[in-house]
Amino acid sequence: MISFRVDGRSGVPPYLQIVQQVRQALRMGVLSVGDQLPTVREVVAEVAVNPNTVLKAYRDLEREGLVEARAGQGTFVRGRPPGPPPGTHSRLGRSLARWVREARSAGLDDESIESLLRVTLRADSAVRDSDSEEIA
Amino acid sequence: MTWLVWRQYRWQAAIAALLLAVFAAVVIATGLQMAAQWHSMLPACTRSSPCSATSASLGSQVGHDLVVLSLAVPVILGFLWGAPVVAHELETGTVNFAWAQSVTKTRWLLVKAGWLLLAAAVWGGAVGALVTWWSGPRNAFYSEQFQPNYFDQQGIVPIGYAVFATALGIAAGALTRRTLVAIAVTIGGFIGVRLLISQTLRAHYMAAVTAYYNPLGYYSPPGGAWVLSTGVVDKYGHVFSGGSAPQVNGVPVTAIPASCRGLLFRDLNTLSRGQVHQAVSCMQASGFRGFTTYQPASHYWPFQGIETGIYLALAAALLAVTVLVIRHRDA
Amino acid sequence: MNTAIETQGLSKRYRRVTALSDCSITVPESRICALIGPNGAGKTTLLRLLAGLARPTGGDVCVLGGTPRQDPEFLAGIGYLAQDIPLYRRLTAEDHLKAGAHLNPRWDGESARTRLRELAIPLDRAAGTLSGGQRAQVALALTLAKRPRLLLLDEPVAALDPLARRHFLGTLTAAVAESGGELTVVLSSHLIADLERVCDHIVLLAESRVQLCGDIDTLLAEHKVLVGARKDTSALERAHTVVHAVRTARQSTLLVRLDGPVLDPAYEVSDVNLEELVLGYMGASAAPALAHLTAVGEDQ
Repeated sequence: MISFRVDGRSGVPPYLQIVQQVRQALRMGVLSVGDQLPTVREVVAEVAVNPNTVLKAYRDLEREGLVEARAGQGTFVRGRPPGPPPGTHSRLGRSLARWVREARSAGLDDESIESLLRVTLRADSAVRDSDSEEIA
Repeated sequence: MTWLVWRQYRWQAAIAALLLAVFAAVVIATGLQMAAQWHSMLPACTRSSPCSATSASLGSQVGHDLVVLSLAVPVILGFLWGAPVVAHELETGTVNFAWAQSVTKTRWLLVKAGWLLLAAAVWGGAVGALVTWWSGPRNAFYSEQFQPNYFDQQGIVPIGYAVFATALGIAAGALTRRTLVAIAVTIGGFIGVRLLISQTLRAHYMAAVTAYYNPLGYYSPPGGAWVLSTGVVDKYGHVFSGGSAPQVNGVPVTAIPASCRGLLFRDLNTLSRGQVHQAVSCMQASGFRGFTTYQPASHYWPFQGIETGIYLALAAALLAVTVLVIRHRDA
Repeated sequence: MNTAIETQGLSKRYRRVTALSDCSITVPESRICALIGPNGAGKTTLLRLLAGLARPTGGDVCVLGGTPRQDPEFLAGIGYLAQDIPLYRRLTAEDHLKAGAHLNPRWDGESARTRLRELAIPLDRAAGTLSGGQRAQVALALTLAKRPRLLLLDEPVAALDPLARRHFLGTLTAAVAESGGELTVVLSSHLIADLERVCDHIVLLAESRVQLCGDIDTLLAEHKVLVGARKDTSALERAHTVVHAVRTARQSTLLVRLDGPVLDPAYEVSDVNLEELVLGYMGASAAPALAHLTAVGEDQ
């Protein structure tokens, strides 16, 4: 069963953190279709947030089609967010770990690695945007 | 609410019952002993007059001391039971538990105080009854039950004192909200009120009786009376009742008219009966009379009732004040 | 939606001290409302007035549709938990539960016992021997067992360590979730981080007056922090409400309640969180004599 954490200082609204954590759990395979999400009462007893926060998160997830509320029974997972199957994450994670080891032995510290990643992401986004512009 | 009062104070109740039992045991033991002593003395006394036994010999010292200590019982009840009851709960904030249940402040106070005052009445009454029983032989022998202090230990007034002291403790606790201050106020207030009433009010509950007689004699009212004052009064109503100046039977020599002085200027015990008669006639002719003002023994129980009533009324007034304070003061 | 609490010009004066002055607040039903303010601002007084334990010296107050009064029916609907967790030190949790059963018309002792057992709190030990967190949980369980419609909690977590605080707030929010919208909570505290997680409504008291009252999300959306070079702000003040301003020699930082969009490009606009909002309003209400302290390095 999934357990949530809410970080009051992250700048992300609590309900959105819960939504993101459900989506991430689905991507990683912690939650699968048919699993029951914890009840509102169970979530707040552990995390100490306003019940409406959880209700709002579950409603958003329902609107996205990821979960469905069954009257009298609870909230159940209905679908997965679009994206690669769970195995992809672990495979990519392993190759990333290899790259990081290589970068470190080359002498890069954490900050340089992060900034390299950011630059690469931005450049890649720019390329994909211009690609899609071309296609369109 | 009664359940809560019992649960809170059941240990105190047990200890109080134990102390009462111990007190009763000592009083009964010494009382039985004294009664036996009295019964064995009785035949000898009625045959010869007067009984030569001194006051201290009738009854043991332990019994005496305990009975005198019983005068302190009401004030002890007041500051041990009454003062902490409300003050401690206000000090520690536990009133907020009871008041957060669906019980009003007034009901909380009345049930709590009600049981406590009832317990005080029972305790005070038991102590008073035991002392009254114990004093039986002494009362028969010395007829001192109407005298100050003896009056306070016996009969039903201990009930009044105990209830008053407890109500005073409760009121002091509600007003001062500090247990120690409430205890001090209770002790001081109780002693003050008791002294005031017994010294200044008690003598006037009912009209006293004044007996007049010859100015050189003395008069002892029938047994069990409470003598308020005695002395000699002249025709102007001026009272002579002793002093440091040279005097005869309480009358300063300077006040005796010249015509009688010569007759009195000797030790009265050496005069013949005729001479004494002459002196008395002379004084009486000048308007001197001896007097004794007293409350007769028949007033004893009415006085007990009146004094008990006064203290119970004071307790009721204190309880009303406490209710008002609790309701209007936001603790 | 019904209001659980509504006050109009509520005030409370003791002989020489004014504890509350002209308070007008509204708390809708089913909310968890934060009551924030410096010490001495009147939070405890307000809670006691709402609970019927004190009587106002001015103004009107309406709680759960009636006037707070010393009446068993009214008292049964209110769960008031005073500061410093009032429990009898020598009585056990079980004793307190029995007392509650005797003293209240509606009493759900079983759910309280279940809750305490789940938290592994012993029912047969004297309350004075329990830890602060355990005592707070016992007091909360007792308050909830009354099945009240309104909970008034006066700094219940003030003396608790972070873990005990988390457990207490978890129990509280779980009870709200279970009540299906029947329970309204007013919770006073200094710890803004906790209140931000748990509360959706806020009442801010300072200097014995209400500085702020409303739905938290709405208020956060209505306020922004504007940072810019120091300059004349009269135009801004005409268009919006400047709640609090910190001015240095070169820079102004303004907490503003918006009345429309901010059109002046000289200011950098950023969102505000609950702590900044509260501090801004509390700073604004501080005595004028202290106001000059907020201007750092200002040219004299």
